[in-house]
Amino acid sequence: MARQPDDKTNAKFTSDDSALIRELALLLDETSLTEIEIERAGLRVRVARNISIAASMQPGVAAIAAAAPATSATATPSAPVANFSNHPGVVPSPMVGTAYWAPEPGAKPFIEVGTKVSAGQTLLIIEAMKTMNQIPSPRAGTVTQILVEDGQPVEFGEPLVIIE
Amino acid sequence: MFDKILIANRGEIALRILRACKELGIATVAVHSTADDDAMHVRLADESVCIGPPPSKDSYLNIPALLAACEITGVDAVHPGYGFLSENARFAEILADHNLHFIGPKAEHIRLMGDKIEAKKTAKRLGIPVVPGSDGAVGPDQDAMAIARAIGFPVLVKAAAGGGGRGMKVAHTEDDLALALTTAANEAKSAFGDASVYLEKYLQKPRHIEIQVLGDGRGGAIHLGERDCSLQRRHQKVWEEGPSPALDAAARAKIGLAVAKAMQQLKYLGVGTVEFLYEDGEFYFIEMNTRIQVEHPVTEMITDIDLVLEQIRIAAGGDLPMAQNEVVINGHSIECRVNAENPVTFRPSPGRIQQYHPPGGLGVRIDSAVYQGYVIPPYYDSLVGKLIVHGKTRAECLMRLRRALDEMVVDGIETTLPLFRALVREPAIIDGDYHIHWLEQYLAGQQAG
Repeated sequence: MARQPDDKTNAKFTSDDSALIRELALLLDETSLTEIEIERAGLRVRVARNISIAASMQPGVAAIAAAAPATSATATPSAPVANFSNHPGVVPSPMVGTAYWAPEPGAKPFIEVGTKVSAGQTLLIIEAMKTMNQIPSPRAGTVTQILVEDGQPVEFGEPLVIIE
Repeated sequence: MFDKILIANRGEIALRILRACKELGIATVAVHSTADDDAMHVRLADESVCIGPPPSKDSYLNIPALLAACEITGVDAVHPGYGFLSENARFAEILADHNLHFIGPKAEHIRLMGDKIEAKKTAKRLGIPVVPGSDGAVGPDQDAMAIARAIGFPVLVKAAAGGGGRGMKVAHTEDDLALALTTAANEAKSAFGDASVYLEKYLQKPRHIEIQVLGDGRGGAIHLGERDCSLQRRHQKVWEEGPSPALDAAARAKIGLAVAKAMQQLKYLGVGTVEFLYEDGEFYFIEMNTRIQVEHPVTEMITDIDLVLEQIRIAAGGDLPMAQNEVVINGHSIECRVNAENPVTFRPSPGRIQQYHPPGGLGVRIDSAVYQGYVIPPYYDSLVGKLIVHGKTRAECLMRLRRALDEMVVDGIETTLPLFRALVREPAIIDGDYHIHWLEQYLAGQQAG
């Protein structure tokens, strides 16, 4: 997934290019996209809306102190974490990686909502650096909610499932 | 240039790195332990990944977690800051194996300078003056006493795998040597996993003067002048300033040139600091730090060069920002490391900062990640922030520092601000007449008096 630094060759900036950029910028405004990137022979263009984690344009330290702790974005936007972190049945991720619900692509998922699991039973796989790690259930119970999508990057402590 | 950088650190240096990235238009990924969920740089970063529970070994030192975070965020480079993995050659190599850039020196140089015995040998070979000492490690079958006598007492027993002021014991007379050797070796074994020790002449009242260098990795290297970091407590720097009150332009140019030439020969890449003890007009190499240092802002203020930005640019293949003859030292700068500690006992004081008001005005800089309401976690270092002041002269700088210290408010926890307010009024400090034992002697005097 990691990329090498790009080998950018010098290219002349033409009026066609600036027209393209204008068009992309318009497209950004018209849709709810935050970023558009296109690439074709000799040219790669990225147009992005200014992304700010702590709501909109709040300048300075004082604003950060005054505001309630902002939710930080992980690699893929996910549902607000705060609701489930304190749930008594939550199973938080013990590691950083990518979550997969089935042992391999196309296979039947380990669990689904309603599955009864025993302590130690594999719930999902978290992959990091080509290593598949089976994540065991910390207790026996029933899966009542699945909180991350297949292929979603997860961080340490991120709520994965609710087992009650 | 890099598209996205992962900041493998925390606290004020993580914020420092984030600022440089933003100014370069590079996307940022902040990794953090659960204890740092509310850290300022985590909030400001474009993306963040929680990598583990509070203990450093499970988070900031957790290489697999860091690599996994790199993978899921698609970064192309990692900035290690200082401490943690910044001088871990293995980490640098692992990143390279995964096609990620390590923003720092080549692994071979990290390794070379990490072994303090090899570092000294290398310095000697490259024409840098060194402290007289044992020629390498002092083994159990060697006659340590004979070596010590040849050096001349008092001698210092130092851990080969140590550094940063740790793993050192003084033997003032021949009677002290045996105990100093065994104590140092035991401490070295438990702290660094390596009991090897070597001996050095113990200088009585040296100053600690270090030279900042910048190398492009292809044989080009420049020095950016010195910092005087003599004011230390338990080998930890407390107050740093540049230029050193003890050096004149000729002395500076001479040692700077020797260091720059050595870095050119090494084909050193990135920033580094060559540290010396300076006594009676002579420089003695003690070690080299192959990373950005805590006190880098002192050099930034007097040279007007953004060292972290240069680190990133150079790591991406860029050239040095200027030639040696274009480096200009302007005015004077002092940095005070404000810690969350009792100013007399130095007992750590983590907790919630109830009131925070940083000083401002011309020539005043604060490098800090705290804010009002922030809770300093108990798991990491106690640095609240660095107050850095610049003036056209040392006198102006001292007045500005006095003014800035009086304005600064950090309430709710104990801090070492009162210590700095006292130091800035001390005659010896005002005269610039101090050495590496001065501060501890001053503190002992305060306790007694």
